[in-house]
Amino acid sequence: MDYSDYEPLNVTEEVEKSMIRKWMMVLVVCVFAASLLGFSSCAKKQVKADEAAKPAEVRQAAPAAPPSDDADRQRRLAELEKQQKLQAEIRAFESENIFFDFDKSELKPASRAVLEKKAGWLRANPQYKLRIEGHCDERGTVEYNLALGERRAKAAMKYLSAVGISADRMSTVSYGEERPADPAKNEAAWAKNRRDEFKLAR
Amino acid sequence: MMNLRSPLISKTWKTFSAVLLVGLIAVFHLFRADPASARIYIDINAPSVQRLKIAIPDFKNFSERGENPDLATRLPSVLSNDLDLSGFFAPMDKSAFLADTQGQASLEETRFRDWSVIGTDLLVKAGYTCIGQSLEVEVRLYDILSARQLLGKRFLGRVDEQRTLMHRVGNEIIYLLTGNKGMFLSKITFVGTGTGNKEIYIADYDGQNEKQLTSDKTIALLPRWSPQGDMICFNSYKDGSPMLYLKELLSGKVRRISDRQGLNAGGSWAPDGKSLALGMTHGDNLDIFNIDLTGKILKRLTNHSGINVSATYSPDGSRFAFVSNRSGTPQIYIKDMAEDREERITFQGNYNTSPSWSRLNRIAFCGSYEGNFDIFTVDPDGRNLRKLTDGQGDNEEPSWSPDGRYIVFSSNREGGYHLYIMNANGQNQRRITFMKGQQTSPSWSPF
Repeated sequence: MDYSDYEPLNVTEEVEKSMIRKWMMVLVVCVFAASLLGFSSCAKKQVKADEAAKPAEVRQAAPAAPPSDDADRQRRLAELEKQQKLQAEIRAFESENIFFDFDKSELKPASRAVLEKKAGWLRANPQYKLRIEGHCDERGTVEYNLALGERRAKAAMKYLSAVGISADRMSTVSYGEERPADPAKNEAAWAKNRRDEFKLAR
Repeated sequence: MMNLRSPLISKTWKTFSAVLLVGLIAVFHLFRADPASARIYIDINAPSVQRLKIAIPDFKNFSERGENPDLATRLPSVLSNDLDLSGFFAPMDKSAFLADTQGQASLEETRFRDWSVIGTDLLVKAGYTCIGQSLEVEVRLYDILSARQLLGKRFLGRVDEQRTLMHRVGNEIIYLLTGNKGMFLSKITFVGTGTGNKEIYIADYDGQNEKQLTSDKTIALLPRWSPQGDMICFNSYKDGSPMLYLKELLSGKVRRISDRQGLNAGGSWAPDGKSLALGMTHGDNLDIFNIDLTGKILKRLTNHSGINVSATYSPDGSRFAFVSNRSGTPQIYIKDMAEDREERITFQGNYNTSPSWSRLNRIAFCGSYEGNFDIFTVDPDGRNLRKLTDGQGDNEEPSWSPDGRYIVFSSNREGGYHLYIMNANGQNQRRITFMKGQQTSPSWSPF
């Protein structure tokens, strides 16, 4: 057995960790800002390349013409549309849960189809990481439900891993019976609450 | 009869009780106890107890300027509630009292016939004196049938700690009449939702004096009191996923001790208080590990596919009960660590979880046989299964009192979940928390 990845934390390490976390945040923000800048400069380069590719006489016909406002707007709109499409995809991805039977963590056939779809999206968007949240209905005891929620999250993770999504991109968290989707006390609500939720992060 | 001065009782407790006895609050014997009073009035090991009728009239105010007149009824009500919750006494209705208690000049004079005619077994007469914040209570306990005084003592304390003082009086009466230590000074830790979030609280065993212990504004779960009473381990989502933390009660310091990816479930204290058994994610499974108080893994305790959680140690620490779903449904198993053997002990119903192993070697757990969830007890070999709650909503998460004679649990019998205590045989079920929100996951402190 290898427990080398499991080191006890002491207080100084905790402090260091939180410092590291802070700097990581700063770094992430910087990288994000840089990537935005990079993106816009790429777009500009693209424009220049396009111009260079145009026949010489066209360039001569309008040597000092600035890039047309119209084309620029088109490009911005296209970009916006792309972003909106991505956001819609993320919303669709995150809003589709999978469901379980009482006291069970086995995937149902319908859940496999949902996970296949998610795997496809994850393959197409390798920059995204996935957090799988396992939930239970309110019946039963708190600690067992925590364990059951973890098993449910792990079941989805195992499936995604088997169809080629790297385990490094995925993590699990169990909420047990702590975060019901529907607080009502009936079978319809319980069925909605026995679920895995899927959260994306870059 | 169980000898409570067993080696199980920690040194810490001995020191603590010695300090308690000698220091801070002095207790004066007014009279040497009558030799006859050494007789055991209550056999607490009997399967069911005939409750003794005890009369506790209002306490007399001996304070010079009559300060704190409200204590005349407040002090006896704390004692009356203790004795009632103990299950050994039936406090009598004051309206039945014939003797004009206000008219009597002294505590020594007692018209025994006035008490025996209304069926009184025992009588507590007491008076109090306040000087500033100091409070002195003089208590006399009479056996009405034999017309004898069994106890005469003065207790010193503070007005603002009057409940603690009265719990000491209650413990004294329990010790005198049963020969066993009372648990009225013990406490309970639990999860409360009063703030809108799940936070850890502590309160006296009777649900009073509640204090909020965490303010993480997220989900805190499964608090467990250490056997020495100095720490509480609990789970919290404050760092994003369920991890295990340790709170030192004296310093208030909180340390994170298990933060493995996935689930770090509830901790269970080893009897020596030096390590914990913890269910956590390991590969694809959830297994139980023994960790020290810095979080270092000392030993893997289970190695089986599926769920293995909710360990609870036997009093001698050689075995533990836990929950596993290896049979397809959650059931209680016992692991003998020396023999490395695991045995299933629950076979009825398809949902048996939350085991708690008592000092008297009974295992309480939460089971579901006919829809609702109820509290059961069973011997560690699976024999003598007994259902303690019945037909009153869901009853979950039992935890034993330090003497193994009471169980605290959560129940939704009155709507939301609140805490209740009952005798080990299920008699005398009483609600103890009346705070805002819901209260769940109780864990009883040591003595």
